Amino acid sequence: MIRFLIPFVAVVLFLLEPEFALFSPIQWGEEILYLVPRFVILYLIFISIYYSRKRACLYGLFFGLLYDVFYIDIIGLYSFLYPLVCFVAGSSIRFIHQHLSVTTILSIFLVGLMEIVLYYFFSFINLTTIPLASFLSNRLLPTIIANLLFLSMLGWAFKYLINARVLQHTRDAS
Amino acid sequence: MPQFFSNKKLILLLVSIIFLVALISFSLRDRQNANLPEQFIKDTVGFAQSLVAKPANYITGIFNNINSLLNTYEENKRLKMRLEDFAVLQAEVNTLQSENESLKELVKKESSLKDFNPLKATVIARNPDQWEEKIILNKGSSHGVKLNMAVMTAKGLIGKISLVTPFTSEVELLQTNNPNFRVSAIVQGKKKDIFGLLEGYDAERNELILKRIDSSLDVNVGEQVVSSGLGGIFPKGILIGEVTEVTTDDFGLTKMAYIKPAADFSMLEDVIIAKRNANEVDGSDGNGTNADLTNEVEESTGEGEE
Repeated sequence: MIRFLIPFVAVVLFLLEPEFALFSPIQWGEEILYLVPRFVILYLIFISIYYSRKRACLYGLFFGLLYDVFYIDIIGLYSFLYPLVCFVAGSSIRFIHQHLSVTTILSIFLVGLMEIVLYYFFSFINLTTIPLASFLSNRLLPTIIANLLFLSMLGWAFKYLINARVLQHTRDAS
Repeated sequence: MPQFFSNKKLILLLVSIIFLVALISFSLRDRQNANLPEQFIKDTVGFAQSLVAKPANYITGIFNNINSLLNTYEENKRLKMRLEDFAVLQAEVNTLQSENESLKELVKKESSLKDFNPLKATVIARNPDQWEEKIILNKGSSHGVKLNMAVMTAKGLIGKISLVTPFTSEVELLQTNNPNFRVSAIVQGKKKDIFGLLEGYDAERNELILKRIDSSLDVNVGEQVVSSGLGGIFPKGILIGEVTEVTTDDFGLTKMAYIKPAADFSMLEDVIIAKRNANEVDGSDGNGTNADLTNEVEESTGEGEE
């Protein structure tokens, strides 16, 4: 049961992302703020840290490819970045403490880094012309805050779910 | 060297990077058509997405209802004030309409650039990383949607169809940076209409830019901008926005105007795809090829009349 629950949650998060994107952009006084939901990659980072790096990379490849084909029509962008982020997250376990708050901060940091890489990519191919300063204040900061909010609400649930799967895995093995 | 090649992971990484760069450049080159596997993935994900979109739209609908309920008193006061003007306006419109019809009959003018078949569609997704402003609709080529059709909400124009698969279609919103995205528009001046091309978007002001306005003509702040229908594919008279500032362009030869869009681009839910009845030409609203699309159109207008 739990075996299928992990990919199922990832699919649900993938489908929920654009629904939350419908709320954005929001007007905050004079400024227009963009909130980018990054639920899937946050979840995959959790899988990578608490469960298995290899599996997270495979999921990352799959969902990255879907994301590329369905939303942005540039195949190879997210299907490279998602596994890369999962790989980095999985490789960092040796250096960090696996506490929930540390994982949360690491995930948000990685997502912020990914956002910056994406900004440079899109300005490189001329899809966006916004200057760096307004990218940082109107896009990166709101995105980080919104995703932090999301993760602080549901991070414990991810951890609980993944731990249940790990326990089942070891029980099956023994 | 042998040591380098023994490092399997590094080789794998390098090969995959080369492969991905090739893929990216391939998909950047041709972004108008989706090939078969892409279409299949788009339709499958689109189907799942539309299942999720229904309850999500319902929930946001509830929030909107609560919000409008809270504003009822204010709104009621305002509307009551406008009601008196409205009655006068209604009478005027009625006489104008009947006059217009009788005049049209007099000159035997049947089709107008204004006429279009509305096709209702629901937004099932918005591109979650909002680098490109793009939304995905639940109607595709099997419902009669074609490339470059105008898409609007009740308030005004929002964009045009940029990619079609059998059951979904993608809309490129007006706020795009794509230099090939042009809409032929007119400013409805006091005495006569002024022609211009809507191209580009100012991200900092959050306003659209209307370029190539004849510098001898006067454009005033507050005048309304509508689509002209002369670009070839869009119907005439779809509201785009309101002029907020007029300046001369970079070369000083023509004027340009900033336009505040009439449509609200956040929380898009139900949109209308406009299929115009008059013959289509692939002009500035399309790909700019000036290819005549007349033959295709005659078939579909025939269907519409049945």
